[in-house]
Amino acid sequence: MKNFEGLNYYEILKIPSNSASFEIKRAYQDALSMYNEDSLVTYSLFSNEERDNILKTVKEAYSTLIDENKRAAYDTILLDSGQIEVSITSIQNQRKPPHAHTCNMTDSDNFDERVRKKSRKKEIETLSNEILSKDLISGDDLKKMRKAAGIELSEINAVTKISASVLKSMEENRIESLPPNVYLKNFLRQYAEMLQIDPQKVIDGYLKHISLTQKK
Amino acid sequence: MTQIYPIGGGKGGVGKSFITASLGALLAKWGKKVVLIDLDLGGSNLHTLLGINDQQGGINRFLDKTVKNLENTAVSTVIQNLFFISSSLCSMEIANLLHVHKLKIINAIQKLSFDYILLDLGTGTNFNTLDFFLTSNQGIFICTPEPTAIENSFRFIKAVYLRKLKHIVKRHSFNSAVKKAIIGPNHEAIASPDIIEIVLKHDPDRENFLRNRLSEFKFKFILNQFRKNLDATIGDKIEDLCNRHFYSNFQFLGNVGYDVRIHDSVLSKKVFIHKYPYAPPAIDIKKITEKIIKRRPSIPVTGEIS
Repeated sequence: MKNFEGLNYYEILKIPSNSASFEIKRAYQDALSMYNEDSLVTYSLFSNEERDNILKTVKEAYSTLIDENKRAAYDTILLDSGQIEVSITSIQNQRKPPHAHTCNMTDSDNFDERVRKKSRKKEIETLSNEILSKDLISGDDLKKMRKAAGIELSEINAVTKISASVLKSMEENRIESLPPNVYLKNFLRQYAEMLQIDPQKVIDGYLKHISLTQKK
Repeated sequence: MTQIYPIGGGKGGVGKSFITASLGALLAKWGKKVVLIDLDLGGSNLHTLLGINDQQGGINRFLDKTVKNLENTAVSTVIQNLFFISSSLCSMEIANLLHVHKLKIINAIQKLSFDYILLDLGTGTNFNTLDFFLTSNQGIFICTPEPTAIENSFRFIKAVYLRKLKHIVKRHSFNSAVKKAIIGPNHEAIASPDIIEIVLKHDPDRENFLRNRLSEFKFKFILNQFRKNLDATIGDKIEDLCNRHFYSNFQFLGNVGYDVRIHDSVLSKKVFIHKYPYAPPAIDIKKITEKIIKRRPSIPVTGEIS
């Protein structure tokens, strides 16, 4: 019988070395279900001692890989011994969970990334800091920041899936066609995240602005 | 090239004879010339599953030298291209086969000229069964998805594996310390990890040789009497597990569904595949047959028999 001799932690959990934490967790659950005492598929295959050793190694593998610092240290050891290559090491290249909404879009991740990049310039930062320091934030303010960042409404729509008409109503302060606050807050948060500005300030400022407008 | 498939598995009642008969029938329908040999000595009943009333005997006539050539004891069946060699008229003491008789049978089997030779083996892990299983470099074990059958299957695999290891050490040049430890007076108590350890300690150069020889042996397996509510990935998991923890090669051939009509066909002494060609288990075995036909291994068929 071979145990895990010569296998590294990634091989023991049967995952690639750039796995994300959700994959490590899943692989760990799979390994436990395979090697635990009640498992049908390993029934009587191992002695108690062998099983204990296997489970101990599986747990060790998991606790090392799930901890970012321990994992980085472990990867360095593997790199030095040539067991994995630089190009596929963990942290920098970790796989991300798939986006639930973009499964039908081609190149969706890149698109998302491109749109977000637009708002990272210096001059935009100054403008948005100025607006965000105000107590009230109107739809016009939102629009100004969006234009400065060079992002189109259709792009926000494509990434966030908020309908174009709602986005328009938000920017044009058309309170009567805005969704209930629960939804609106979430939409504002996503809008702010697209422009890479503080979502909480946007939500607070905008809601204050529309409640004042309603009172008038 | 002739393909020999011993069909075993530690537990009784898991369907070894049923699978042997069905696989044989389907291989014959593919136009292959097939012979089924009942090597469940002392517990034969493959003839009954094939609907053959054994009057003339088979292996017994070969062993008592009435017939010189084993091939001449093969009888035809209701299925074209499918032949059968029985052991039901062997002596009441046949289960305790003499060593020379065992070698005689194995040598004769390796000389038969058929496309496929399927050996229906008995239960348990006695040396006869293990050596028949090692007639070839590949074998199929049948299991059901139950702890009892899985337990006996692992026991069977380990016993085959250990016997294979011992054959390799006996037949090839190893350091005398290794040979002495393994073939010495207490050698029956040695387990397979011990042998690898012994070789590692006394003859490290031969370790890779031993591993390579072990990896040449291909275990294939089928999960029989598979009920719908079970986890369909059990077979793949066992394959993966065995490939990780043994040096030999494991391939899962597929599940065969449970069906009450199999019992009916046994009662009526008819070949199930012939009687119910479209029943789910028949379809399952068809898929397995196709897998076997398409993946012909290029390795030689002769195993290591001492």
